[in-house]
Amino acid sequence: MSTEALVKSSAVTLTIRRHAQEDAAWVRWSLTLFALAVVGLLVVVPVVNVFAEALSEGLRAYWNNLFADPDTRQSIFLTLTVVPIALVANVVFGLAAAWAVARFNFPGRTLLTALIDLPFSVSPVVAGLMFVLIFGLQGYLGPLLRRDGYSVMPYLISILGVGLFILLFFLFRPNSHQRSQAFWKYPWLSVPIGSAAVFSLLFFIQQYFHIWPRNQSLKIIFATPGLVLATAFVTFPFVARELIPVMEAVGADEELAAVSLGASGWRMFWDVTVPNIKWGLVYGIILCNARAIGEFGAVYVVSGHIAGKTDTMPLRIEKLFQEYNLPGSFAVASLLTLVAIFTLIAKATLERKIPTTAGLPEPKANETQL
Amino acid sequence: MSILIRNVSKQFGSFKVLDNVSLEVRDGDLLALLGPSGSGKTTLLRIIAGLEVADSGTVLYQDEDITHHSARDRKVGFVFQHYALFRHMTVAENIGYGLKVRKTAKAQIQERVDELLKLIRLDGFGTRFPGQLSGGQRQRVALARALAARPRVLLLDEPFGALDAKVRQELRQWLRRLHEDIHVTSIFVTHDQEEAFEVADRVVVMSEGKIEQIGSPDDVYDHPATPFVYNFLGNVNLFHGRIDNGKAYINQSETEHVVFVRPHLLEIDRVPNGGDHFRAKIKHINSAGPLVKVEAITEWGALVRVEMPQERFRSLHLLKDESVFLIPRDVRVFEKGRIA
Repeated sequence: MSTEALVKSSAVTLTIRRHAQEDAAWVRWSLTLFALAVVGLLVVVPVVNVFAEALSEGLRAYWNNLFADPDTRQSIFLTLTVVPIALVANVVFGLAAAWAVARFNFPGRTLLTALIDLPFSVSPVVAGLMFVLIFGLQGYLGPLLRRDGYSVMPYLISILGVGLFILLFFLFRPNSHQRSQAFWKYPWLSVPIGSAAVFSLLFFIQQYFHIWPRNQSLKIIFATPGLVLATAFVTFPFVARELIPVMEAVGADEELAAVSLGASGWRMFWDVTVPNIKWGLVYGIILCNARAIGEFGAVYVVSGHIAGKTDTMPLRIEKLFQEYNLPGSFAVASLLTLVAIFTLIAKATLERKIPTTAGLPEPKANETQL
Repeated sequence: MSILIRNVSKQFGSFKVLDNVSLEVRDGDLLALLGPSGSGKTTLLRIIAGLEVADSGTVLYQDEDITHHSARDRKVGFVFQHYALFRHMTVAENIGYGLKVRKTAKAQIQERVDELLKLIRLDGFGTRFPGQLSGGQRQRVALARALAARPRVLLLDEPFGALDAKVRQELRQWLRRLHEDIHVTSIFVTHDQEEAFEVADRVVVMSEGKIEQIGSPDDVYDHPATPFVYNFLGNVNLFHGRIDNGKAYINQSETEHVVFVRPHLLEIDRVPNGGDHFRAKIKHINSAGPLVKVEAITEWGALVRVEMPQERFRSLHLLKDESVFLIPRDVRVFEKGRIA
């Protein structure tokens, strides 16, 4: 009897509290309807319209609009070339930057974190102009790139090779008590000598086989390299931004544990770091990819609009639209929209997999069975 | 494996974490590094493990100078406060990882993992993931993982710090017994003096990057070498005074010496009893628990804490606001200049 009364009274307080926390019905309903109306008007209707317009003349016309026009085909191909290169560059950069920021304390760390965000705050058009100013044939590096511009390439490739050599040297350096050979034993000696050897070898190969054309200017602006540079610049915060909080949440303890158990840096990276950050990395890549494919402003400035040569998909859409070829322009737009929808779904799926708190969730298991 | 640390110093920015520390750890020791946070004990442990590099000084394992060896070459087992288990590997994979990266045959790894699972009493848990274990179980897996490759030294950083009181108690005794069985030289860091005394053979008390005292738990507790150690190990009453002819005179205006008295070494009585004494007035009595804790105010206005057994308290019938005599049974006197 008494327990029943208790239950009843607690139920009463519960409902009272619920009412106290809730807003009036008309507030809830009008807010919900307003949000739905805005989303419907600004998001759903245009998206549906893109597909409706693209398919308005039937599937065959849609297909022809996409793949019969050589310029459109070229723009799709160009996007599929530029975006993966920019993505790879940004993954490498993003990993390095996230590692540096999350694992080390160095002077300028805050500055680096702020600078990573710079492309978010700079207008893409300004970014494009910046590259034109630097790499354009009339720009700061113009004299270097004009006429015999390709002569810088052997140096660039050789320097990259040296960097790779130094990285590999320290990654594959054996344990201290296994270091019998002088090559591994004295890095201050073997690194400079090895670097010099790698540099001369690469340089020699490139010169001997005439890999780079002579007496030609190296075009970066109004050519594919410029498109890659602009796209990579505009999208470089995505991977780093995603990885820094994930790496900070995961912490360095597991990595240190792997090293103290005898793992090399390389081994630790693949066995411990990568599995811990992989969903964050995939998430960053997907966002980066979406932005890179859709990039318009910066690419617009550096591309020069050479139809069939430097038009990426967004630029092609604009051009078709200007030429009053609406079905054609909407057909290409529908591809970008599909990418966006895929991105949205992937994003929602991945968000649940990314670790946000340090350590593992505290268990509720019984501790007495020790 | 004995460890010798010689004149190790470490600085983070302008903050001296370790100031010229030297320490010898004997083969088979179970040693506790005890100190408050910021005393440098964890940094010292990480320098021994090779996870941190000392600015100066040397670290020797047996006769081998390993100061410049990387953590992976030192063959130490390291246990982290928050376990640091590889969350995407099973318990068995975690334990076997050290053997796997050292290229041990699969069958041998399997055998060693089974043996260790038995040792930590988690047989049958090999296929689970760390997220499915309780805190105490995870810490035992972390310990097994550290022991798998038969390390020369076992290092534990606040190993029980993240566990609740009951599990902590059980794991302490378990670690003690484990050490008796396998006898690997072990060093563990703790800020809990009770834990240090219960588990370790030898205790190193640290403060502000320096070693204050090294000794057995009894030594350190009964004969504290410095005022810091006396203060850090348990409650203490502090008086100012001076020393004259081997006698301490407590007087708040004299400040050249400091007199320490532990609460349980102060006796309360209604009569002066002939010995050294001073008067105080009882302000508060807390009689819950095995010891009765009394707070009293001395004639010169200082607060004094006294602890006594329940029987003594009952036979005295102490009351609040009563005036009593306090008789110190044992005191420690330190010169003023030696207190930081």
